[in-house]
Amino acid sequence: MRSRFPLGIALCLSITVTAQQGLDRKKVPSPGPTPVLRVPTWTKTTLANGAELIVSEKHDLPLISFSITFLGGEHQFQPAGREGVGSLTAALLSEGTKTRDGEALSNALQLLGTSINASVSGETGTISFVSTAAKFGATLDILADMVLNSTFPAAGLERLRGQRLVALTQARAQPGAIASRVFPRIVFGTTHPYGRVVTEESLKAITRDDVVAFHKAYYQPGRALITVVGDTTSTGAKPGIERALAGWTKGGERPTFNYPALTEPKATTIFLVDKPGAAQSTFAIGRPGPPRNTPDYYALQVMNTILGGMFQSRLNANIREEKGYSYGVNSGFAYGKGPGAFRSGGDIVTAKSDAALVEFMKELRGILGARPITDDELTTAKDALIQRLPGTFASVSSINAAITTLWTQNLPDDYYQQYAKRIAAITKDDVMRVAKQYLTVDHLAIVIVGDRSVIEAPLKATGIAPIALYDIEGNPLGTQ
Amino acid sequence: MRAILHATVSTTAIVAASFAAQIVLAAEPQQGTRGAAARDTLRLPFETYTLPNGLTVILSPDTTTPTVVVNVWYKVGSKNEAVGRTGFAHLFEHVMFTGSGNVPYGLHDKLTEGVGGSNNGTTNNDRTTYYETLPSNYLESALWLEADRMGFLLDSLDLAKLNAQRDIVKNERRQGMDNQPYGRASEILTHATYPAGHPYSWEVIGSMTDLSAASEEDVKDFFRLYYAPNNAYLAIVGDFDAAQAKTWVAKYFGDVPRGKPITRPKVDPVTLQAEKRLVFEDRVQVPRLYLQWPTVGENHDDRFALGVLATILAGPRTARLTKALVYDEQSAANINVFQSSNEDVGEFLLMITPRPGHALTNLEAATDAIIDRLKKEGPTAEEIQKATAGEELDFVRSLESNLGKAFRLSDGAGYHSDAGYFRTEYKKTLSVTADDVKRVANKYLTHGRVVLSIVPTGKLDQAAKPDQSTRVTEYDEKKPEGVK
Repeated sequence: MRSRFPLGIALCLSITVTAQQGLDRKKVPSPGPTPVLRVPTWTKTTLANGAELIVSEKHDLPLISFSITFLGGEHQFQPAGREGVGSLTAALLSEGTKTRDGEALSNALQLLGTSINASVSGETGTISFVSTAAKFGATLDILADMVLNSTFPAAGLERLRGQRLVALTQARAQPGAIASRVFPRIVFGTTHPYGRVVTEESLKAITRDDVVAFHKAYYQPGRALITVVGDTTSTGAKPGIERALAGWTKGGERPTFNYPALTEPKATTIFLVDKPGAAQSTFAIGRPGPPRNTPDYYALQVMNTILGGMFQSRLNANIREEKGYSYGVNSGFAYGKGPGAFRSGGDIVTAKSDAALVEFMKELRGILGARPITDDELTTAKDALIQRLPGTFASVSSINAAITTLWTQNLPDDYYQQYAKRIAAITKDDVMRVAKQYLTVDHLAIVIVGDRSVIEAPLKATGIAPIALYDIEGNPLGTQ
Repeated sequence: MRAILHATVSTTAIVAASFAAQIVLAAEPQQGTRGAAARDTLRLPFETYTLPNGLTVILSPDTTTPTVVVNVWYKVGSKNEAVGRTGFAHLFEHVMFTGSGNVPYGLHDKLTEGVGGSNNGTTNNDRTTYYETLPSNYLESALWLEADRMGFLLDSLDLAKLNAQRDIVKNERRQGMDNQPYGRASEILTHATYPAGHPYSWEVIGSMTDLSAASEEDVKDFFRLYYAPNNAYLAIVGDFDAAQAKTWVAKYFGDVPRGKPITRPKVDPVTLQAEKRLVFEDRVQVPRLYLQWPTVGENHDDRFALGVLATILAGPRTARLTKALVYDEQSAANINVFQSSNEDVGEFLLMITPRPGHALTNLEAATDAIIDRLKKEGPTAEEIQKATAGEELDFVRSLESNLGKAFRLSDGAGYHSDAGYFRTEYKKTLSVTADDVKRVANKYLTHGRVVLSIVPTGKLDQAAKPDQSTRVTEYDEKKPEGVK
């Protein structure tokens, strides 16, 4: 904290308010000089076991954010038919070690006032915490114990499995959750890793051996990055980390991310999932997109900001603000190592499902050229993207995420310094080119979860696309 | 809430004096620290003053990040609404984003989100707050925007704008409640806990019928009374120069006229004489049990012990209900317990989702037995220690966010006439004893409560004690609009 108010001095203020005669309230105040971008700095070293270590100092508050990130995830390490094993393994790290049972781990962390979070997602996994600087060493010891000495008790697995089966059952009643299960299955197909979702069958099939095998194969230093951000020093942090993780021996390597080729794109179809009595229809409209390392990333960010990345973007300005069909609609790309999907949508009042679909298609055609982008749209989108950056370095955990992302996505160390220049260079032609390359109105999956008895006929009458009926798991029921 | 990006604000007096304060908290002595630099004090410095028109201003500079937050907190919420106009305070929040006398529609977003910042508004029972997060060089335009809608909103108001926002708010209700499994629970519990006509007896989002009834005159009357500087708190937090900010505040807000005196609703404390048992059929696959007791709000110190009680009952695997029902018996998939505090009233809420084959009736009995034991024996010293050990970290982490600090300072000023109330709150939470927890458990967790079972349609028998439970029937909001 860099306070301008020295300790112990009370400031009593007398404010003189002068009548603002002649104040022209129509005049928009001009911004001050653009603040200088302050990107955090860090040091990078490699531990004897092959794990990389990044330390970034931030001393204004006595906080430390610590994470170990693993490159690769369920898509690379999860056997077919065992969807959910990665996530279960991560959860089981809290169930007990050789010297502490689950309750002992929980008690110790509660007394330290913090918690350790472990997760494995599609292409990365992480185990992390934020602690006060004073509790950092003790918390790190517990994390190391969890990574190295977990016992994966069968009882813990059974309890977690039971809880997850209940959550899956509950999700069958939640329109947003249904759309998020059905959409990837349709866009990528059920054999592509991006289209494989956790099911009752896969959860039930997972054995303790599967968990132990996943842990052994996955939690290896050769594919790990340790990131430490906050009130510590580059030289001070390393010895403590090496000591805590002393038993973590060399092994593992960075995985390759070879995804199968996508099947031929199908003509635009409405995939209707019946949800009788639904007050709204949940829309997910999209197709496969480019990986994060595409050179078109910056142009795509500008394009999407104009289309659906902000409140006043075209989609929300039209469908929410002008028409009142929804509480909010948007669009975005799920950038990853593979063809992460472009997805737009939102929750639409049942009676306006057809009218809203017409507007979605109109806005997609618009960005594809029917409604050329204006100078004002381009400038606003670029300003928003560029000037948002400084705010992302506010907390130890957001700085941790910003630095770690460079590593997981193979981005250069000066990425943030170069970012503004890259965005500023984007032209209208660039935006138009990437819209045409990555968007389409001819090969879209339009997933709509809603009350079929009310919305099917009006959707059909729009003539936008044929309707195929699907169940809530994303399996076809037959084509109309 | 205007946009989908949610900000959560907690809840709860008036007028602020001119003073400056800061917090100095002793950090834990270093134990087992490896290479970590220590700090022995933490500071959240701020100063506050009042303009002649009654506007309370709170300034808290922090140059760590080149960003700034402007938060304008109006002391009006759903409890100020009239019966038949429920949902109005929140609908009005939406109208505040439709432009004002000198600000055409859309410019507000352009000068916030469009320059790399953000904006939103949130409404609860007690207050409505509006904020902008900005690169630090856009502070002046944000103050201009906020002053214009405080001073000149009605200059640009028309019925079409009101109607458009009405439709959006109805969709907000559908998305958050009507179209969500268990989404109706909160409304049913609120109606059952508070007597009809009580200022806390309706939901902030309101009813569809009342939302349809709101008129342009309602908007004007509401604005003139409540959106006056004497009912508002302006917080500026982040990278700015205090002297410069004061000049801008005086320039843009100084001549906004003071409003008429406000009559606040009289809020009677609520107790239930007997248990109310309800069952509601919903499009869910798994039933769920809700137990709710009326407690106290932001203006009563028992809320601190009630908060600790909630943590002792559920959350970590060693919490009493979680350990017994989720881990040992495995009759529940999950349990959540909260003390939620509005300004004048509060509720203690317990939610249990069963594992298959376990009846809500049995889960209720098991829960009651565990609570009865806690009421008899009180918690252990270790339970108190575990429940409060995270306070320091939570507090320091909250200092990382300009927005979090702005909310904290504004809530203190608005509810407690003390922007520095967070110090009191912190101390009171840490000084909760086992005896306090035992006392509040006995005082509030009595037979006067609401027991609500939400069951899959057609499965009324899955309710807890189904033969003693009254079925809650459909509300008008449940019919999709436009479908006859």
